[in-house]
Amino acid sequence: MTAAVPPTDNLPRESQDVPELKVDDTPDFKVINKSTIITRRFFRNKAAAFGLIVFILVGLFGLFGGLLAQWDTNTIDPFYMATGPSAAHWFGTTSAGTDLYAQAVEGVRTSMAIGLIVGGLSVIISAVYGCIMAYFGGKLDNVMLFFLETLMMAPQLLVIAIVINGAGGQKIREVLPGWVILTIVLLIFSWMYDARVIRSMAMSLIQRDYVKAARYMGVSPFKIVWRHLVPNIGSLLVLNFTRGITLAILSEVAYTFVGIGVKYPNYSLGSLIAQASSQINTLPWMFWIPMILFFLLVGPLSLMNDGLRDAFDPTSLSVGKAKKDKKEKAK
Amino acid sequence: MSANPVLSVKDLNVSFNTENGVVHAVRGINFDLHAGKTLGIVGESGSGKSVASMAIMGLHPTTADITGSIQYKGKELLGLSDKEMCEHRGKDIAMIFQDPLSSLTPVYTIGDQIGEVLKVHNKGMSKQAIKDRSVELMRLVGIPDPANRLKSFPHEFSGGMRQRVMIAMAIANDPAVLIADEPTTALDVTIQAQVLEVMEKAQEETGAGIIMITHDLGVVAGMADDIMVMYAGKPVEIARAEDIYTRPAHPYTIGLLGAVPRVDRADKVSLVPIDGTPPNLLNEVHGCSFRPRCPIAKSGGQCCKDVAEEPALRLIEGAGEGHYAAADIAEQLVDARPEDLYPVPEVPESKYDSIPREERPTVLEVKNLKKHFPLLKGALVKRRVGTVKAVNGVSFDIREGECFSIVGESGCGKTTTLLEIMEFNKETDGDILVNGSSVHDGLKGSELLKMRKNQQMVFQDPTGALDPRFTVYEVLAEPLENQGWKKKDIQKRVIELMRTVGLQPDHVNRFPNQFSGGQRQRIGIARALAVNPKLVALDEPVSALDVSVQAGVINLLEKLRADLGLSYLMVAHDLAVVRHASDRVAVMYLGRVVEIGHVDQVFDNPIHPYTRALLSAIPVPDPEVEASRERIILEGDLPTPLNAPDGCPFSTRCPIFKLLPEEKQKVCTSEHPAMSREGNLDHEYACYFPNEEVAIVSATNPEAVVGVSQDETPWGDSALAADSTVADSSAAGEGSIRA
Repeated sequence: MTAAVPPTDNLPRESQDVPELKVDDTPDFKVINKSTIITRRFFRNKAAAFGLIVFILVGLFGLFGGLLAQWDTNTIDPFYMATGPSAAHWFGTTSAGTDLYAQAVEGVRTSMAIGLIVGGLSVIISAVYGCIMAYFGGKLDNVMLFFLETLMMAPQLLVIAIVINGAGGQKIREVLPGWVILTIVLLIFSWMYDARVIRSMAMSLIQRDYVKAARYMGVSPFKIVWRHLVPNIGSLLVLNFTRGITLAILSEVAYTFVGIGVKYPNYSLGSLIAQASSQINTLPWMFWIPMILFFLLVGPLSLMNDGLRDAFDPTSLSVGKAKKDKKEKAK
Repeated sequence: MSANPVLSVKDLNVSFNTENGVVHAVRGINFDLHAGKTLGIVGESGSGKSVASMAIMGLHPTTADITGSIQYKGKELLGLSDKEMCEHRGKDIAMIFQDPLSSLTPVYTIGDQIGEVLKVHNKGMSKQAIKDRSVELMRLVGIPDPANRLKSFPHEFSGGMRQRVMIAMAIANDPAVLIADEPTTALDVTIQAQVLEVMEKAQEETGAGIIMITHDLGVVAGMADDIMVMYAGKPVEIARAEDIYTRPAHPYTIGLLGAVPRVDRADKVSLVPIDGTPPNLLNEVHGCSFRPRCPIAKSGGQCCKDVAEEPALRLIEGAGEGHYAAADIAEQLVDARPEDLYPVPEVPESKYDSIPREERPTVLEVKNLKKHFPLLKGALVKRRVGTVKAVNGVSFDIREGECFSIVGESGCGKTTTLLEIMEFNKETDGDILVNGSSVHDGLKGSELLKMRKNQQMVFQDPTGALDPRFTVYEVLAEPLENQGWKKKDIQKRVIELMRTVGLQPDHVNRFPNQFSGGQRQRIGIARALAVNPKLVALDEPVSALDVSVQAGVINLLEKLRADLGLSYLMVAHDLAVVRHASDRVAVMYLGRVVEIGHVDQVFDNPIHPYTRALLSAIPVPDPEVEASRERIILEGDLPTPLNAPDGCPFSTRCPIFKLLPEEKQKVCTSEHPAMSREGNLDHEYACYFPNEEVAIVSATNPEAVVGVSQDETPWGDSALAADSTVADSSAAGEGSIRA
C-alpha cells in the first residue's frame, strides 16, 4: 500500500495527547479516498476488468466507429447489393444495398445509450424512491406505495405501443427521435419492482444503530438516505444497474423487433436483427453481426457484476488479495 | 464419587478446513466427568469451548477432523455414525442451548416437542404415558399449570420459561451427561437465578454430570465443582472451583479474575485489562499460546522455560487437590494477585471529584418523562386497544463529570428513556433539559445542531453501530462534517481521536469489519467524542465484549471522563459494571424509577425489595460468597408494560407484598408509592413498607421458604408467563419424581 501512496502532507502530531504512542514506526500515511479504494478493489478482479475493457471498446466502436465508415446508413450502393463482408463494405450490405457497418455503429450507439440511460436512471430513481419511502414511513409511504403499485399495474406494452405509434403523440414524435421516446417510456416502467425490494431492505437497515447514530448527530434525513442507506444496499444496486442495462437493451431489441420501437431512418441493434430475421439463411451476416455485437454489449456486464459487488462490499475477500499482493511484493 | 466417570474425554482435537486454511479449534482436551458433578468450562469467545461440546454431542459436520477419544461409560463415541450417535443423543447425553428462542420450533406446541424427545428414545411408549411424563417434567422445571401449558406454542412463553422447557426436554430421558452451553447468557439476572436453580434441581433429580460452558466466571462459581479454563483451544488450568478463584496459577486465569468487576466491592480500583487478542488458530501456535499477551513475558520476565515449546498441563503442588495448570512457573503465581502481575492503570483523577455535587452545573435534567406507545389493532381502520407505558414518569438529573446509570431487567424502559433523551423530540411528554435548553423550546436548524453536539451516544453492539461501508475515517468524520468543520481540521481531529481511544492512527483507511470487537467499540467511543460533547449516552457499552476486552473499554471510559470532564448516562444490565463505573444509579421497574441514589448507598444498603432481589441474583465470582449468601428469588417474569398492575407495579412479584397483612396490601395496590428519602443521604426509594419481612428462598436449600402460604397467585394471570419458583418447589414436593 505504501508504494502506491504519494508522500503525505505533514500531519501535525500533538505529542502531549498520548505521548506513549510510538510515532516512529507508523509510516506517514494519507487518508485514502474511498473511490480510490473501490477502484483498486474492482481491478483486482481480472474477469471484471476484462468485462469493463470489452464494454468500453464496444462503446468506443459505437461512438467513434462512424469516423471510419465510408458510407452512411441509408445510401444504397447499387454495385454491392446483398453481398457479404468485403473491403468496400466491412460488414457487408443489406438486401437493399445499404452499408451494414454504418448501421451497426449507429445501432450499437442507440442500444447502448438506451441501456445506460434506462439502467442508470432507474437504479437511482428506485433507490431514492425506495429509501425515502422506508425512511419517512407513515402517510408518505402509503401514498408513494399507492403510486408505485398503480404504475406496476399499468399495461406497459400497450402504453409503449400507443406512444410510439398512436395518434396523440404526433407533436412529441416530431420533436423527439423514436429512441428517445422509447427510452423515456422504458424508464417510466422500469424502476418500480426494484423500488419495492429496496424499500423493504432499507426498512431493516433503518433499525441499525449507525442510522440512529447519524440521526442523533443531527444529520439531515436526505443525507442519511444518501450516505448510509443507498451504499448499504449497494450490492443490490450494482446488480440492478447491470441487470437494468441488460434488460433495457433486451426490451429495446424486443420492442423494436415487433415493430414498436426504433424506426427507420434510425437504427438500433433490435431493428438490425429485425430486418435480418427474414434472411437468416440467405444473408447470415445481416443477422449474426448485430447478434455478436449484442452479446459483446451484454456479456461484459455480467462479468462486471461480480467485480463491482466485491468492490463496494467491505466484507468481500478482495481485501485478502490486497494483503497477499503486498506480501508477494515484499518478497 | 464413583470410580468410573460417566464421560471421559482424552486428548480431544478438532480442526476444520476453511477457505483460509485449517483451523485447529480444539487442541487437546482431557477431562473426566463423574455422575452428579459439575464441570465448568470457562473461556472467551473463540477459545474452543463450544466446539468441544459439539464434538462430544457428535454435532459437527463430517468435514470436521476430530481425533482423540470420547468415552461414555466406557463406550467410545468418536467414530460412531450419525445414526448410532442418535441412540445416545438426547438419551444419555443431552444438551441445553444458549438461545431458547431459536432452539424451539415455533410451529409445534411445547407438548409436541417434549413428546418427540420421549417418543424417539422410547419406542412403544403410550400416548398417555408420554403426556404424563411431559406434565411431570414441566412441573419439575417449575412451569405452572403444566397440563394446559403443554398445548401452548413457544411464542406464548417468555425467554426464561422457554429455557425451562429446554431443560425439561434435556432431562426427559434421564441423561447421565447434561451439556449446557451458555444456558443463561440470553436471560436477565433475576431469570438467570431462577434457571440456575432449576438446573441444580434437574441435576439433583437425574444425578447427571453437567458440563457448564460459559464466559461468565460468576455463573459457574456457585454451581461448578471443577473448572477448566480454556485459551486458544487448549485448557490452561483445571482445578476445583474454589481453587480457581482463590489460588489461580495461570497468568490468564489471574487476568480474567482481575478483569471482572465485582458487584460486592465498593473500592474504586481500575480493572485489569488483558491486552491483545487471542491468537488466530489458523496459524500453528509456537510456544505458549498466551505469550503475546502474557504480562510476565512482556515485562521481560521468564515465564515459560522453553520459548518454542508449548507448556503442558501439569499438577501444581500446594494449590489444592488436583490443580493443573499450563504454566512453567505456576507455583510462584499461586499467591499472586492480578494487580501484581498486570500493569494496572492508575485510577484517573477527575477535577470534579473534589467539587461537591451540588455545586457542579447540571448537564442533563429529566423531569417526569413519559413515553406511551399506543397499541393498535385492525387492518384498515386502526383502533387503539391499549397503551404500553414504556416509560412512566421518570425524573433525574446528571451533573458535570458524573456517571449516572440506569439498571433494570429488559423491558423495564431503560433504553427507551435513553433514546427519548437522544431523540430530543419536542412532542416529548415531560421535560428534558440538556445544558439548560429544553425540548419544548422548539430549537431548529443551527441551534438544534449546537444542542446535538452536546449529547452523543455509544451503542451496545459495536458491529451494528458502525456503517460497514464507511472507512473508519468516514465514520469519525461524519459528526465533524455535520457540525461544519473544515476538511483540514477534520483530518487532524480524526487522527487525534484515534490516539485518544488508543488505536493506531494509520488504521483510518480500514473498514470496521477489519477490527476486533473491542477495537470497534473504541471507534464507536471515538465517534461519540468527536465533537467534544458534554454528555455521552452509553447503551450497554460493554455487554457485547469479552471479559478481558471489557476491562480495557471500561478503563478507557473512566479515563476519558476524568480527562475530558464528560458526563455519562449509562444503561446496563450488568450491575457489576455499573457499580464499578458509576457515581449514581437509578433502578427502573416497569417504566418507573423505584430506587435512586449514590451507587454505594444503593448497592450496599438497598431498600426497595426489587433492588434487593436484583442484587442478590447476581452471581459473584467467588464460591465462598456464593455459598453463604441468601438469594431473594423473584417469582415469574416482568409483567408486560401493557397490563402493568395498579398501584405499585412491583406488587405482583414483591417478596414483601406476599407476607403483608391484607390492609397493608391494599395500600400497595391502591396507589403508586411516591419517592421517600433515606435519612439525609443521596438515596431515594419508592416503597411503602421496605422494612417488613421478606420471603426468602435460599440458594442452597430451595425448599426452605420463609413462611409463605402459597395457594394461588393472588394477582391472577397478569402476565402470560406468570410462574413461581415457590410454587415449583411445593409442587415438586408433592409430584412423584421418578421413584
